[in-house]
Parts: sequence; C-alpha cells; structure tokens
Amino acid sequence: MPSVLLIILLTLGGVGLYLAMPGGRLHIGRAGLILLAGAGAALVAAVLPLSGEYGQRIWFALLALIGLIGALRVITHRKPIYSALYFILVVIATAGLLILMQAEFLAAALLIIYAGAILVTYVFVIMLAQQSGGPPPYDRKAREPFAGVVTGFILLAVLTIRLARGDGQALSALTADPDAGLGGVVQVGTHLLTQYVVGIEITGVLLLAAMVGAIAIARRRAVADEGEVD
Amino acid sequence: MLVAYLLVGAALFALGLIGFVTRRNLIIMFLCTELMFQGIVVNLVAFGRYPLDGNPTLDGQVFSLFLLAVAAAEAALGLALVVLLYRYKGTLDASVWKLLKDV
Repeated sequence: MPSVLLIILLTLGGVGLYLAMPGGRLHIGRAGLILLAGAGAALVAAVLPLSGEYGQRIWFALLALIGLIGALRVITHRKPIYSALYFILVVIATAGLLILMQAEFLAAALLIIYAGAILVTYVFVIMLAQQSGGPPPYDRKAREPFAGVVTGFILLAVLTIRLARGDGQALSALTADPDAGLGGVVQVGTHLLTQYVVGIEITGVLLLAAMVGAIAIARRRAVADEGEVD
Repeated sequence: MLVAYLLVGAALFALGLIGFVTRRNLIIMFLCTELMFQGIVVNLVAFGRYPLDGNPTLDGQVFSLFLLAVAAAEAALGLALVVLLYRYKGTLDASVWKLLKDV
C-alpha cells in the first residue's frame, strides 16, 4: 500500500475528528462524522487484502469498523453517560476481534470484567456526579482540539506507515493459520498457573492495595466533610 | 493478518490518546485510558497469535489478563479520587485542579 494514500486517508480522518470534537472552531459535527466514517471505511478497505481468508475478513472489517466508530463517539460525545455506553460497544467489538484470534477465554473475561464490572462502576460515578440542566461548559468545549488531534494522528501516521511498509515479504507468511483451540480455558489456565504463578501472587497484592486505597480515599472524604482536615 | 490487527490496535490507542488530551471531563479522561487499554489488548493478543517466529504462544493472552486486573485496580482508585474531587469543588472540570501546575 503506497504511503501517500495512507497519509491522505489519515489527514482526512484527522480533519474529520477535529470537526467532530465538541466545541471545535468550525463546529459542524455531522459533516465531520461523515468524513471520518468515510476515511475509516476506506482505511479498513485498504487494509483488508492483508487479512486472512474470506469469511474471517468480513467479520474483521465489521468488528474493526464498529470498534472505531464506537471509540470515535466515546471521545466526541457531549454526555458522559453516552460515552460510557459507546465504550461498551468498543469492548464488544474488541471481544469479537479476540474471538477471531481464537482467544475465547480472554474475550469472555473482557466482556465480563470490562462491560460488566468496570463500566458499571463508571456509570454509577457518572450518575453520582450528574448536574441538572444541559451538559456543563467543560463538556461542550474540548481543550485544544487541534493540538490534540495533530498529536494523535502523527503518532497514528508513524505507526501505520511503518507497519504497512514492513508488510511486504516477511509478514505475509504469517497469514497462514496455525493450530486452532489456542485460547481455551484449559490452555490459558495451565499457562497462567505454571509459568506466571509469581505474577498472580503480585496481582493479588496489587488488588488488595487498590482496595485498601479506595477505602482510605472514601474515608478521607467523610472526615473532610466534617471540617476537621488533618 | 497480524498487520491488520496491529493497525486496529494503533487506531484505538491513538483515539484514546486524543480523547485524553482534549476532553476536560475527569470521568471521560479515565474512560479514554481504558480505550487505550483496549488497543493494547488487541495488540498483545495479535502478537501472541501471529508471532514472528511462527509458533503461537499464550503469553499475550496471559499478559492481557494481568492488564485486566490492573485496569480494575485503576478504575477503582481513579473513580474514588474523582468522587472525592467532585465532593470538594462540585465540578468534574479537570482545569479546576491545577495546584501542581507551574505558574
């Protein structure tokens, strides 16, 4: 894939994202979204010949598009609750991609932990911190949208061009399908409990520390409310 | 196939980065870090599934499981902090909290 085409597509995407940001200078969100969707679809179509056999290719394109559109709405939507709901869409698309890569257990864990546990916490906090009336000013206007979009798309352009260039010979051999059934519970569990036992122990300590920290932070709020901050 | 997955992961990560630096709502900034985690999970699993030497391993998936645990800890602590900050000032605007900012 020629890198000129890639740069044009990425520039289109960057312009579209800038227009779609809340409170951007031009502030025509819908046109920006259409431009972005077009650039995303063209990018996915350009990447498609690199992917595997036919059936898998369609699923990959579908899931990648859903994930990217969801991610877009996460960062451009003005209401945090809708951002959280679109993030669940991203998680579902990611889980689908993992299933395509035969990581079934990880896909299920991702759905349960992210969409089921972490996002529910987010939704609770959003509801706790809700304000009456429309979206507050800090949700209606992004901070330095131009600089942010340029930063992100320069990073994306460097990664994309390097990856597309390296695709030529060495990586095309990797499209061959290795053995199936790699990511089942038995395999992942065996690997986790034989080679990474120390990691599991340390993760337990980390979760305990996070729990103690969260409780400590919550208690500090109660003390501060009574006006006796020490 | 590897390159396609890596591109999707890179796009998710870049979108999360853009959201993190441009949005002003504390909750959405944390949500954008989770978005970057999603891109990284796709990358890790793709590298484990289509490795350069041709032998798929489970290391990427196991690493992603650890990443899930770290993300859960981060969400718990970060959201507790957000609630605390909201109780103090009654707003979720990140620019209200600039005690550590120079000038």
